[in-house]
Amino acid sequence: MARFLEYQGKEWLAKAGMPVPKGRPASTPEEARQAAEWIGGPVAVKGQVQAGGRGKAGIVKLVNTPEEAAKVASEILAKTVKGFPIHQVLIEEKLDIKKEYYCSFVVNGAREARSPMLMFSTEGGMDIEGVAEELIIKANIDPIFGLQMYDAIDICVKAGIPDKDLNKFAAFLTKLSATYKKYDCQTLEINPFVMTGNGDLVCADCKMEIDNSSVNRHPEFGIRIARDLPGEPTELDIIGWSIEETDARGTGFLMNMGYDEKSPGYVGYHPIGGGSAMMGLDALNQVGLKPANYADTSGNPVGSKIYRVAKCVLSQPNIDGYLLGGFMMANQEQWHHANAMVKVLREILPKRPGMPCVLLLCGNREDESLEIMRNGLKDMMTEDGPGKRIEIYGKEYVTDTKFIGERLLALSTEYRAEKEA
Amino acid sequence: MLEIKEKSISVLIDTSKCGTCETKACEVACKKYARGILAIVDGKPSVAHLSESQVLRLGTECLACEIACLFEGNKAISIDVSVVGLPEYVARRGLAY
Repeated sequence: MARFLEYQGKEWLAKAGMPVPKGRPASTPEEARQAAEWIGGPVAVKGQVQAGGRGKAGIVKLVNTPEEAAKVASEILAKTVKGFPIHQVLIEEKLDIKKEYYCSFVVNGAREARSPMLMFSTEGGMDIEGVAEELIIKANIDPIFGLQMYDAIDICVKAGIPDKDLNKFAAFLTKLSATYKKYDCQTLEINPFVMTGNGDLVCADCKMEIDNSSVNRHPEFGIRIARDLPGEPTELDIIGWSIEETDARGTGFLMNMGYDEKSPGYVGYHPIGGGSAMMGLDALNQVGLKPANYADTSGNPVGSKIYRVAKCVLSQPNIDGYLLGGFMMANQEQWHHANAMVKVLREILPKRPGMPCVLLLCGNREDESLEIMRNGLKDMMTEDGPGKRIEIYGKEYVTDTKFIGERLLALSTEYRAEKEA
Repeated sequence: MLEIKEKSISVLIDTSKCGTCETKACEVACKKYARGILAIVDGKPSVAHLSESQVLRLGTECLACEIACLFEGNKAISIDVSVVGLPEYVARRGLAY
């Protein structure tokens, strides 16, 4: 899912006519001070990061003056939460909160539903996970017509909203349901939405995630990559996306795994298929190696796509090796992998001589595929050749993660020692 | 020089090297690993019997002709498979590939 930060989600909520507090993002303390001045009066300074529990993490603070806003923004912008550095804060008017509520529209994938589902509770705010099940009212929503006013009123009655406020709450929820549909959301969670001292309902927070498959219908969002990423896409993520963006001939997936491009013990990781990828991670974990990236070339991709993924994986700086992890008896024709591997390794290894490459390829057309790789790389796999640390394995090792991991570790240890000598 | 443009790659064939090739391994590989778009005409590979749209539709970008020609033929084929953004990525890191 393509995820928005809170301030981005709120901008789209506002455009859909939903009530949100006055506010704007800031990337520096000075911008924070200016934003607080523009708002006037006490403000909230909220760190913008794709992670829950921001209040507990200490990145949501209330202040009274623009100077305080700048100081607090400076502190928050220096923080990292759950591994994510904070690049922006949202400066927002402080709300006069009378009560906090929770609502979330999600996709209910259960066989009997397969529709949007509304979850609504009068116990919103922090620790929603700890609210008793019976206090969260759930209702499936018609995917075509959305939440209707009469259904919304019924839900609000069940939740215990007083009669005098039923229309107000039902109107809020039906409008939010229309917003969920309009933006093709996967998730739209407002926790909390609040009733102010004046009796107005306002979206005090916003978690908005867009269905990846619908991103092409929303150029207005400016989403570069329709993928589940923990934060801003890296350069490698963007390159990986370009391989898949207009080419549906099998999977050619590639994404960064937080590799800092310097630390030792990382290898270029090129699994074939999701289950195989998990076994490959077992292979690496068992010997203390780490994947610099994630990849997947399954679903019978064309040779060019496999080549592109492999070339990107192998092009990462300072990796200690490369693992083609075909830990499965694949149905796809493996000779496309074989031809792609020969081409890419013949290009890359002369420039990175001696880099360990453990190639495990099993399944359909396996014998011919292994033969293509052995013949195609034979002249490089000599004692002093650039491919001296290429090792090629087939079905005898398809589940032997320990052996494959140990081979890669031995080769990469040797390679690193050679580089450092 | 023959250039065959597929959906996302260019296959370049130096046909001046093909006259003395005895194996025509490219054609064999094309039939075995893909849909056999390469034909041998006057001793050289050709796709002249197909329209451009047929080449685009039938070409599977399997890369097999290049590998086959490299080891069994006269080293006449090179396939350009560009990766958007990768040259800039490696250049920014001072790498030479």
